[in-house]
Amino acid sequence: MAGEQVAVARRARRQLPWARAVFWLYAATLMLPLLWMFGMSIRPNEDILGSFSLIPQRTTLDNYRTFFTDPVWYSSYLNSIIYTSMNAVMSLIVALPAAYAFSRFRFAGDKHLFFWLLTNRMAPPAVFLLPFFQIYQSVGLFDTHLGVAIAHMLFNVPLAVWILEGFMSGIPREIDETAAIDGYSLPRFFLRIFLPMIRSAVGVTLFFCFMFSWVELLIARTITSVNAKPIAATMTRTVSAAGVDWGLLATAGVLTIIPGAIVIWFVRNYVAKGFALGRV
Amino acid sequence: MQWMVWTLPTALVFIGLALLLCGMAIWGHFSPPVARRGFLRIETDRGDRLYIGLISAAVVLAGWIAVTDLSMWLALACALLVTIVIGIWG
Amino acid sequence: MTEQSVTVAGSPVGGEIVTAAAPQDGTPDTRASVKPKNNRAWFLVLPVVVSVAFTAVIPLMTVVNFSVQDIFSPDDRIFVGLEWFRSVSRDPEIRAAFVRTLLFSAQVLLLEIPLGVALAVAMPRRGIWVSAALVIVALPLLIPWNVVGTIWQIFARADIGLGGWTINNVLGIDFNYTLDSTDAWITVLIMDVWHWTPLVALLAYAGLRSIPDPYFQAAQIDGASAWATFRHIQLPRLRGVLTIAILLRFMDSFMIYTEPFVVTGGGPGNATSFLSILLSKIAVGQFDLGPAGAFSLLYFLVVQIVSYVFFTVLTRAGR
Repeated sequence: MAGEQVAVARRARRQLPWARAVFWLYAATLMLPLLWMFGMSIRPNEDILGSFSLIPQRTTLDNYRTFFTDPVWYSSYLNSIIYTSMNAVMSLIVALPAAYAFSRFRFAGDKHLFFWLLTNRMAPPAVFLLPFFQIYQSVGLFDTHLGVAIAHMLFNVPLAVWILEGFMSGIPREIDETAAIDGYSLPRFFLRIFLPMIRSAVGVTLFFCFMFSWVELLIARTITSVNAKPIAATMTRTVSAAGVDWGLLATAGVLTIIPGAIVIWFVRNYVAKGFALGRV
Repeated sequence: MQWMVWTLPTALVFIGLALLLCGMAIWGHFSPPVARRGFLRIETDRGDRLYIGLISAAVVLAGWIAVTDLSMWLALACALLVTIVIGIWG
Repeated sequence: MTEQSVTVAGSPVGGEIVTAAAPQDGTPDTRASVKPKNNRAWFLVLPVVVSVAFTAVIPLMTVVNFSVQDIFSPDDRIFVGLEWFRSVSRDPEIRAAFVRTLLFSAQVLLLEIPLGVALAVAMPRRGIWVSAALVIVALPLLIPWNVVGTIWQIFARADIGLGGWTINNVLGIDFNYTLDSTDAWITVLIMDVWHWTPLVALLAYAGLRSIPDPYFQAAQIDGASAWATFRHIQLPRLRGVLTIAILLRFMDSFMIYTEPFVVTGGGPGNATSFLSILLSKIAVGQFDLGPAGAFSLLYFLVVQIVSYVFFTVLTRAGR
């Protein structure tokens, strides 16, 4: 009976025959610009500008060699990874208790606080550029990894609270109550029981925090100069009097995709499992 | 704080907003807000109406300054009126 | 969950079976029951409030202060009242950019939401290809925004880019985004669709995955067509995730800066100079703190209003 049901469900979920084909066609189209960039990164510059050709005629790893031997390039790459990771962890630590509070209790002004948090996600980053520069300079966080990590909390903390609250609301409150009767204190319950239950939420949240911090340029560029300069800002360096160094630019572009791809690979199952619990 | 370039009017506005929020919190403590439906056709409690009212007031002020040269005091009066109307019947 | 079950039960596909299957759902919603009131919860929220106050409130206050003064240096400044608001709100260039940005956001939503949902429906759901599909679809999201700009700057070029070259030489259409304003607009729009449809697709995919099998069994037994299944079972269950998708896509497309800045720099002429590009020019390029402050606040106001309307309509509709 159960097997029969599953079979029925399978059949019900079976898609139109062309749907899969359309999807893979889209996926292929989506990859085209990326492949094109990769193609440019392994071509010498004269070939890139010289003539149009579908398949690179000569390949070279010079651009990659330059990237990994020039400290300006690889150190800014590391900078980006450092502040992005810091930001993801900090956003998560700050957002977890707040999301728990929103999902479990009513308190004065809770709904409004929730929407207010979201409004910060809406503020155009350009609004904050000028004051940011001055704040971070006056508190000594200018051009530090910590500074960028804190600045990016502006848009990541509200998002993290939003996602986590949705997941947490999907977990019945009876679990909290049972744990309390069993003598668990709130912090111990949270770390031992609750956190493992929302593992996938934590995965999804880290993914989104990492993503939005990794891809952001405007703020990161404004509050750094040398020591914490992000890779994205270094890329603007390739434009010089001699023109644009397309090969090196494409190389940096290809390499900036890699951390993202790794992160997706790790959280793919969580993302697939879905946000679809609770609010989200 | 030098770089925050404070001026008296903006400081007064922010103090006013802070007092308003405190007032709402205290009011909410003594008589919890009740959600109901008004002419806005959506369920709101008094905090929602305050938010909508303030945003509408900002729209009135911005719209006023964008189209007419009449006194801003008049605009302020209109904005206050809008906020009060939304606060009471919204 | 209650209101969603009701939605399905009210639709023409097998009410009883779906209702009976609801307990298997596995996602009870605590918000359905009344949460205990506890003001000490504020202590749990405090870290968020402090961090957001530091990153958002103080800068916002500073911007408000900027907007009412003519600032030459922190010690040399004049209070000008609402003068900047007057000049900014009447500036024809800013008004044009405002209309342009709204148009862009509308087009982005109209293209990306249906396309994203369609992709999510077409995506493989079982087997080894699921992971590959997810990674490929999500890839554009994790590319730094200026790299996205760079990718398209290269790809759409008529002489050295595959996209631009194909349009010019294979399709025979004259296409050059650096000279023609329509071409520039289309390039930026397609770039945004390429970049952000995956977000909609991922959210919708997650939403679809959460629909329990019995819903599909019910549809199957009733002999519902693929379209009816989509319209009456899948789409209603997607409302939550689509709320998020629409909100995020509106906010981000209305604030778009880096990608068009890299590709077109706002040009040709000012065909693609969106609000944020104009704002950055005033704020960072000319360092006019007063007008930039006033501009920022008006901009913020618009985003607030539209987001609040979306948020209210999408979360309260049908209750």
